[in-house]
Amino acid sequence: MQGAVLMLACVLGQQGVPALEPPSRRAAVPTSIALERRLADRLGVVVGDTLDLGLDPGRLDGRAVVTAIYEPAADPSIITRRELYLRLHLPDLAALLGAPDQVDRFGVGVRPGVRPEEAARELNRVAFGYRAFPSAEIANESSQTFRVVSRFHQAIAIISVVASAVFLLCIMLLKVEERRRDAAVMRFTGISRLTIFTALLLEALLVAALGSVLGVLLALGASAVTNLYYQRFFDTTLVFSVVTGATLRFSVALSLGLGVVAGSLAAWRLVRTSPVMLWGRG
Amino acid sequence: MNDWEEGSGKGEGKEDPPVLPASRFPLPWVTSRAFTPRNLLRHPVRTALALAGIMVTTAMLLDMVLLAGGIERSFEQLLLGRGYQLRISPKGTLPFDTEATIPRAGAIRDLIAADPEVAAVGPMLGGAVYARRGDSLTTLFGYGIDPAAQAIYQVESGADLDAADTTGLLLSEPAARLLGATIGDTVTLAGGLDPQMALAGVERRLVVRGMVRWLYDYRGQPSVGTLLPVMQSLAHARAEDRVSVFVVRVHRDQQAEAVTTRLRQQLPALEVNSVTDLVIRFRERLVYFRQLSYILGVISLGVTVLLVATLMTITVNERLGEIATLRAIGIARGTIVRGVMLEGALLTAIGGALGVGLGVITARFLDRILTSFPGLPAAISFFVPEPLSLLLAAVVLLLTGILAGAYPALVAARAPIAATLRTEAT
Repeated sequence: MQGAVLMLACVLGQQGVPALEPPSRRAAVPTSIALERRLADRLGVVVGDTLDLGLDPGRLDGRAVVTAIYEPAADPSIITRRELYLRLHLPDLAALLGAPDQVDRFGVGVRPGVRPEEAARELNRVAFGYRAFPSAEIANESSQTFRVVSRFHQAIAIISVVASAVFLLCIMLLKVEERRRDAAVMRFTGISRLTIFTALLLEALLVAALGSVLGVLLALGASAVTNLYYQRFFDTTLVFSVVTGATLRFSVALSLGLGVVAGSLAAWRLVRTSPVMLWGRG
Repeated sequence: MNDWEEGSGKGEGKEDPPVLPASRFPLPWVTSRAFTPRNLLRHPVRTALALAGIMVTTAMLLDMVLLAGGIERSFEQLLLGRGYQLRISPKGTLPFDTEATIPRAGAIRDLIAADPEVAAVGPMLGGAVYARRGDSLTTLFGYGIDPAAQAIYQVESGADLDAADTTGLLLSEPAARLLGATIGDTVTLAGGLDPQMALAGVERRLVVRGMVRWLYDYRGQPSVGTLLPVMQSLAHARAEDRVSVFVVRVHRDQQAEAVTTRLRQQLPALEVNSVTDLVIRFRERLVYFRQLSYILGVISLGVTVLLVATLMTITVNERLGEIATLRAIGIARGTIVRGVMLEGALLTAIGGALGVGLGVITARFLDRILTSFPGLPAAISFFVPEPLSLLLAAVVLLLTGILAGAYPALVAARAPIAATLRTEAT
């Protein structure tokens, strides 16, 4: 717990630390601060540099020496906010804010065997001016945004799957119908309907399989490009697109299934039509 | 050069084909535009599937067009809803984005109001306050406002606060429900809680004057409003005269940017933003949705092109005999090309028209999902129609359909007459 509250993250521009200036390298006895890598890049500072620090951009009367530059954990919940973070020791920040012995929150570790929910309930029973939350509840609340995005993606995926299914059915139907004359010739030469049906079905399956392979390659490529683009765009190590085995299995199964269904329907229609009609003379 | 082989279109412009009486002519295909719908009906299953595909892709395209700029328009309408064109917040922050506040608000307000183009300045303070309910405290969001210059609420019932009403309180519907209070009831608000002493630093008994809708509240947010000095007392911000944000209304909209620039120079320690600036900042945060809408919109158009082009190519290949016959009796190449392209456009137009209805339904569904984002103002919508964008999308879709017919039309026009007829005869 001590470690958890020793360093407190502040958001640039919040009440904590609204302003920083590039290194002045003045001789002083400054407080030590850690900057996240993006902030250090933006300010052009390295470990050992001194910064002027204050709450008011017009009055930067504090000094801080950069003792560490860190890469923050990739957090999707703040990625679009483009906020820059620095860390100070808690007493230093409290002094800077003019709010000694004040904190925003405590992290509390419970003893083994104690359920966090029960501990939170007990604390809330006597709470005045604060509220205790189990970490799981905070995690649940924090992930609401991603659940919304996930539901949106699922809805878009359903529309895409419907569009793809219709497209696939249409293409497979056309592909088989293109073989009308071939089917007529085969029928004229005495080849059985079952053989023709099987041949057309196999052809449809082959086309669907080839299409699936190309589709998987396209998806992997698109996923790689998406990650590359957004990782550069947001300057983060977050992974934005993951092609999972389950996704691949679902997509390939859907593609093959639809291909077979569409191919079967079209082939069935074809073999039931008289060869003279298929030849175009009926 | 053999006209039959090369298909030079010698008979172009002729009104009456010289051979084959109409009754014996199998399927007059492209001699008139009136035959195009009939062609689509020759393969009903095929046409139905193609229309279904175009319908779904059009719905997707429509949704993505609405999404691409919808939320920005919605946000802009929300910001300008009460005519205030500027927001001034602590340096490096957006209004109510953090708990940072601005000290010495009175002096800053006077400085802003001194600008000749400024019509009104409204200071606001926002933060957590607590309402007493028996032995317990309920957490609420409190707004401190100047009722004469405010841009964040609309009175729905009861009365607004007046400038001297230091005992008045405004409630949102969720807050009223949470507190079980209505107009005329007394509510005790507390602030400056001391957890160690279990005491509230400040308590104020206030009378509910009106029920209001806070424009920037998320769904179900329990919010209350008091005069600014009352909220400053509750938030321990009175001594330094702190506020969260100023809203500024200028006399003429076209002067908003000039006033923004002037105020930036006069108030370098503050963040001065016009509505345009805020929309840009908002857009940056929602860049993902805009890019997603562009990508999916392009994919939708691509699928439409593939669908129409494939269908038309196979259809044309099936009808090469008919096309060759028509060319042989003097029908011009241009007529055939126009017919094929018209058929593609017709297919796209019908599928597109059907897709609009589906798109409106799916847009509502998707909007319900996205507006459930935590913390998003309830008044924001992601899918907002704009006539120009919709018209542009319709034109692009139609052009896509026409262009998709270009390749099959070329196949039809280039078909060698004699060879095709010979093949058809065998």
